Order: sequence, then C-alpha cells, then structure tokens
Amino acid sequence: MEAPPVTMMPVTGGTINMMEYLLQGSVLDQSLESLLHRLRGLCDNMEPETFLDHEMVFLLKGQQASPFVLRARRSMDKSGMPWHLRYLGQPEIGDKNRHALVRNCVDIATSDNLTDFLVEMGFRMDHEFVAKGHVFRKGIMKIMVYKIFRILMPGNTESIEPLSLSYLVELNVVAPAGQDIVSDDMRNFAEQLKPLVHLEKIDPKRLM
Amino acid sequence: MGVTCVSQVPVAEGKSVQQTVELLARRLEALGADKQGTFGVDCETYHTAATLGTQGQTGKLMYVMHNSEYPLSCFALFENGPCLVADANFDTLMVKLKGFFQNAKANKIESRGTRYQYCDFLVKLGTVTMGPSARGISVEVEYCPCVIANDCWNLLMEFMQSFMGSHTPGIPSVFGSKHDSTYSPGDTMVQYMELFNKIRKQQQVPVAGIR
Repeated sequence: MEAPPVTMMPVTGGTINMMEYLLQGSVLDQSLESLLHRLRGLCDNMEPETFLDHEMVFLLKGQQASPFVLRARRSMDKSGMPWHLRYLGQPEIGDKNRHALVRNCVDIATSDNLTDFLVEMGFRMDHEFVAKGHVFRKGIMKIMVYKIFRILMPGNTESIEPLSLSYLVELNVVAPAGQDIVSDDMRNFAEQLKPLVHLEKIDPKRLM
Repeated sequence: MGVTCVSQVPVAEGKSVQQTVELLARRLEALGADKQGTFGVDCETYHTAATLGTQGQTGKLMYVMHNSEYPLSCFALFENGPCLVADANFDTLMVKLKGFFQNAKANKIESRGTRYQYCDFLVKLGTVTMGPSARGISVEVEYCPCVIANDCWNLLMEFMQSFMGSHTPGIPSVFGSKHDSTYSPGDTMVQYMELFNKIRKQQQVPVAGIR
C-alpha cells in the first residue's frame, strides 16, 4: 500500500514533507565532453566532482498489489560516508503545466549495516546497479551525468558492464511541498542545455 | 561515546520512585557530582502488521529509539538483531511504512531525568515512565575517556558501588560480544531496550499510600 497522497497527510512532529522535482534526458558517450564543458560553464564554480555509487533497490511485499520500494545507496570511492536510504513516492498527478516530475521523497543517512537491517525488516533486494559519473550544482539544483553499470555477479561490484552506450542526465531539486516555482527554474535551466541534451519529464509508469 | 553501563535500581523499601531517585541524587551530589542539565531516552515499538505475508514466522518487534544525547539521530533495532543508526528522517519513513509496521502506541516507554558529571564520569538518573505511570528507575553510567569495554569495566563497577552500593549491576551482556572492538552509542541503546523490556514485564510499582 502506498502512503496516502502527501497533500492529505498532516505535518508530523515538525518535519516537512519534501518533494523531489525531476527532469531526465540522455546523451550518447561521444557527446559527453561537450555536455560536461557546458555544465562547467553554467553551474556553480566548484571542484569537478565525480562519484561511484552502488545502489540496491529493496522491496517489501505485503498483501497489497504494489510492494514498498526503498533504495539503499553507498559510495564506493569515498570512505567514511554514511549510507543513503531513500523513499520515493508515486509521481503527483498535477496539472500538465507543471514542468517537472514531482514525487514525495524521504532521505535518510544511515550506518553501514543498512542492508542487514532492511532484510531483518522483511525487505528483499530486487536489483542493484553501479552508477559512475559527474555531479554539478546550481543553487539548489543538482545535475548528474552518469553511466549505469550492470553487476554481473550479485554482490560483486568489481565485475560490471555498462548498460548502454549513453549517459543518463538528471536535473533534480529536493524542496518542501508546494514550491512549484522550482519547476519553472528547472525548465529555464534545461533550456540552456539544448540542443546538447533534452531534459524532460519522464513518467516512470509509461515505461513499464 | 565512552563505555556505558545502563542498569535498573529497584525502588527503596517503603519509598516511592521519586524518593528513591532523590536518594541516589543526594548520594551523587555528596560525592561531588555536578548537575548538568537533563536527558531523555524513549522507545517506541512497532510490530509487523497482519497484512505482511508470513512464511510461518511470527511478527517481529522493531524498536525505534531516541536519545537526547544525539538529538539528530534515531536508533532502530530488533531484539538480538542489528541496530541501525539513522538520522531523524527515519521517523518520517516509519509514517510512510504505516501499512506494514504498526506503532503500538501503548507500549511507548521513556526514561527522563538529570545528568550529573563527576570528573570523567557521566551519570544519568532517570525515572522510567510508561504513559502516565512511573514504572522504575534507570541509571546510566558512562566512563567518557575509554571506548574499549573490557578495559574499564572494573573501574566502572568500582565507581557504581560508591553510590549504588549493593544495587551495582553485573557486566552488561553487550560487553560480551564486544571483545576489543570500540564501544558505540548503539550498544547503549541496546542496553536501554533490554532495560525497558524488563520493566514492561514487571508488575506496576504499587502506589505508596498517602501518609
């Protein structure tokens, strides 16, 4: 059973429901450098940051039709970082004028026994992958350009192979619920990346 | 966090919970300990809802605890299972998991009281309450400079004897599995969980007759 729609839920204990606004696109391998070059120019001035993450997706099956999904992510190249547990709700069915995909999100930093704990709770791993790429920031917007790798043997992150000959490009913002102006800012930024990459609102349901 | 021992002190004969706590506090102050604010540790119980398909296993109990010493953290643990240390958003996640884990609100138990500092020791005297009723007394003693349990157990025990007397506890079971590994806040939360479970099972402390 999915949690009830965010707009109906009371604000509990002072926490605000955070929403993730997302735009996605992709570029072929050969266009990567020009995209990175443009992003370096448009985004906040900072040391170029790369990441190598291992993400595992866990499902909790109940009697309801749709299982509860949680994503556990850990850094493979930066030591001492906490694990990142993430819950993403169903995309909000807003008006068509909303430029980005909006969904409720809960981000939690945890200790590194997260996978054991999730299994103890009853979750089972559905799939895992490795993501390697670059991250940029512009104000509260985060832009990631990364490649997804398939893990050939479960649990062994050394032997991986790329899933495609392209890089996934994501523009996202995590903001409190109700700040739709965020999606306008995102759309304006996305315009500046054309024609190198076309970032759009992609409804995951349409892909299934 | 330094090596910590959490134990229960029984209510003194003929006295109330509050009077026993005051007795301990006076002994600590006589030793020379200074009051340093208050503390609170609470524990909520979640159990797997009936909707979860079972492969013959009984519903598990999950405890979600908070400790005022670590205000931005949340501890989630299973009895005899792993203890997860997460940030405060974990509570928000438990709300989302309402359909799978039900909060047994009546089981919420907490210990609140005063913090005392005596040289390198930190002592927390707490009144354990479940709902409106006081159910017992918890004493947490931390030896801050040391993080290896077996290296300082004797010192901790000696210090506890100086104000707890015959109520000094034996070595906590969490120390057994530590060997030479570092003590962590999760170990303290496990001790509180065991203490709370013990108190929950005990008979309610009879209310002393009004004199």
